[in-house]
Amino acid sequence: MFESRSGVFLIAGLGFFGLSFLVMAVLPWAIYYKEPEQTVEQLAARGIIPEFVDLAERYPEQFKQYFGAPTYATYVEALRLGHQVYVAEACWHCHSQFIRPVSNEDLRWGPVSHALEYQNELQRPVLFGTRRVGPDLSREAGRRSNDWHVAHFWQPTSVVPSSVMPPYRWFFDGQGYPNKRGLAVITYVQFLGSWLKEYPYFHGEGPLGPLPAPTPADAPIARGATSGETDSVDAPIVGAATAGVLP
Amino acid sequence: MIVRSESRLKRIVLWFIAIGILAPACYGFTEKLILFILAVRRDQIAGFTIIPIANYLIVTAGMFCLLIWAAKHGMFRNVEQPKYDMLRREAELDRREGRPWSEEP
Amino acid sequence: MTQASAAAVPKEPPATSDLVDVRLVLWHFTAGMVFLAVAILAGFLFSLQFIQRYPVAGIELFSPGRWRMVHTNGVAYGFLANVFLGALYWAVPRLTLRPVYSRRLSWFIFFAWQAVVLATAVGLVLGHAQALEWGETPVYVDPVALLGLMLVAVNFLAPIFQTSGPMYVSLWYFIAAFIWTVLVYAMGNFLPQYFVGGAAAGAIGGLFIHDLVGLFVTPLGWGLMYYFVPIILKKPMWSHGLSLVGFWGLAFFYPLTGIHHFLYSPIPLFLQHGAVITTIAIEFVVTTVIINFFGTLAGRGDTLRTNLPIRWFYTGMVFYFVTCLQCSFQTTLTFQKIIHFTDWVVGHAHLVMLGVFGFWLLGIILYLWPRLVGSNAWYSDVLNSWHYWLTMLGTLIMFLDLLVAGLIQGYLWRDLSPWEDSLRASMPFWLVRTFSGVMITVGQFMFFWNCYKSWRLGAPAGAPRREPSRGSMAPATA
Repeated sequence: MFESRSGVFLIAGLGFFGLSFLVMAVLPWAIYYKEPEQTVEQLAARGIIPEFVDLAERYPEQFKQYFGAPTYATYVEALRLGHQVYVAEACWHCHSQFIRPVSNEDLRWGPVSHALEYQNELQRPVLFGTRRVGPDLSREAGRRSNDWHVAHFWQPTSVVPSSVMPPYRWFFDGQGYPNKRGLAVITYVQFLGSWLKEYPYFHGEGPLGPLPAPTPADAPIARGATSGETDSVDAPIVGAATAGVLP
Repeated sequence: MIVRSESRLKRIVLWFIAIGILAPACYGFTEKLILFILAVRRDQIAGFTIIPIANYLIVTAGMFCLLIWAAKHGMFRNVEQPKYDMLRREAELDRREGRPWSEEP
Repeated sequence: MTQASAAAVPKEPPATSDLVDVRLVLWHFTAGMVFLAVAILAGFLFSLQFIQRYPVAGIELFSPGRWRMVHTNGVAYGFLANVFLGALYWAVPRLTLRPVYSRRLSWFIFFAWQAVVLATAVGLVLGHAQALEWGETPVYVDPVALLGLMLVAVNFLAPIFQTSGPMYVSLWYFIAAFIWTVLVYAMGNFLPQYFVGGAAAGAIGGLFIHDLVGLFVTPLGWGLMYYFVPIILKKPMWSHGLSLVGFWGLAFFYPLTGIHHFLYSPIPLFLQHGAVITTIAIEFVVTTVIINFFGTLAGRGDTLRTNLPIRWFYTGMVFYFVTCLQCSFQTTLTFQKIIHFTDWVVGHAHLVMLGVFGFWLLGIILYLWPRLVGSNAWYSDVLNSWHYWLTMLGTLIMFLDLLVAGLIQGYLWRDLSPWEDSLRASMPFWLVRTFSGVMITVGQFMFFWNCYKSWRLGAPAGAPRREPSRGSMAPATA
């Protein structure tokens, strides 16, 4: 094999395979050094979604037991755990996370997905998905209430009669309140899409908006101080609601 | 003992398909090369796409080297011979196992 | 190395018992069928969820989403990989007239691989999945699996590289498959997890899904077909040159086609166009292979009726042509608008994995099993016939059913009907899918039963045969 000069080509050929592998690891870094992948902490620094605070108010005992207070630290923890649960249950096999520019998808779900939306820790590996049995979730933030999600995770057909989603009873404790995984996964789902400018469609004024003041990382967030509670119904809902996706 | 004169039809089919594959290959390859250069000159957000393209080019280069290596080793001389050899070996192995073939390939 | 390749065949070839470890082949086949049984039952269970009849709802360890991953991974790594390995342990030594690198290594690989598949299944059920399609293998299993694949490559490449002279096309395919599988597995499982994030990882994920089929399953499958079809027909391939054109075509075109899985995604459009072009070019390659095999069959069409393995092989080839044709259509942007995210793709996947490669492997088992267990005949040819028809019709019905369901879903979505409409409209199709799944399941279990009874019939492997061949298992020339 190596005795002849043509062995060079054999080695070169195999060498190229190795090189391609190296390139695949090195190039992304070279391209993205200006747009580094965001950590969950950086994502959370944009503002806590009001649904997280809402969960703390709705299930005070459970929230206190599993997370404590709704702070940035616990928000980060909930997002990480929620993402982990989302992957473990293979939610992404039936729910995609990207909006295509065709097939009226922007009318149904919201703005078309952009590559930079995926440049963060919660999209590693990326959760595009390849099948939509249930709706796309990348614009899910604030679209439905926490109550709806709790009922839906407990028994999907109770809110969507023709749903084929399995009930996730193990997201709940013995009394039927969401446990740590349940709270986390609802936080994660309510977070998906909250980074968009258009997010206030569903919320009046958006997540927490710009932070009111430099807050210590573990200070609890008061609800009234931050989130806009105004006319969420009359907010300019385009496309999505008229398309009939609201339950 | 083995007749190697393949029919004319077979040779025509072979060449037709070889060209039918090579033509779109060259087209696709050239287009990708141009797009590759364009992508590198664009902003870095679109630039991540050079990863698969670069990889494709590298892997194809590797394949090309292997093709040259194979050609230099005479893999394509007598190109129809291996199929007869293979069948003869198999018949011999089966015969030794006590399962003689009723017809000689 | 020279033209005088007649020298490649030694005067006294070694005995088969020195070349092939029959027990190893048998064990790999058995393990493959056990995992096939598990995977098929998992798939059946998951399909019940779609008709709202999931029998064990609300139990964490039976979470349908987790069992879906057991289904796909069980088929890919439990069934396909095991039966491929078994068939390779038979084909490679007989093609090269040299045993594999090490018999002890072979057995080590066998047990290591079963451990990998079991760990994967258990890990998935316990919720340790990785968010990579076809690569959900928990992260702690990945390095072991990769090591196993490397050992497989060493084990088989050793005898192949010792041969001299022009190689038979099967060996080309095998060499490529061993190298590609290692690279593809590493690429798909490690890069998106540790090195690349975001949409760039999506591009790699798309490559992985496709390359797993194109660079692991396809070359091994075709390589084995190029071996088994001529030896069963006792007739050389129509054109060896054409088969080599097919091989190099695959090598040059396959790598970039995978991005067609994410058309209209945040991956820029020009790259998606590139994927479309190469996918259509692949169609040419496929046509060469199909021409070659049907050219080989020409004049021997009766074997489709009399010889069951050949029937499995050629049914698989027809399905292969259908999937590839479908592929070149569905990667066009026009089709993608409607069918992406729908059941169309699920139907396509079933036709590829079961209808093509599953069929070929079942045909190979059908051909080799009586020889391996020493019975030299099947316990029941009727059962085998039922197995073929149930599986074939089940696969066909499932494929057509999901195809239509996919189109309906796609149009309902585009027309902005309420989401629930698409569920209600799909329900009848999902019911049909479950029934076609029942057909496939029953067919397979008939086959397993037949395998078991034939094994009981036969003496321990290697012993002299008891009775002459009969029925459809008789050589094609009988």
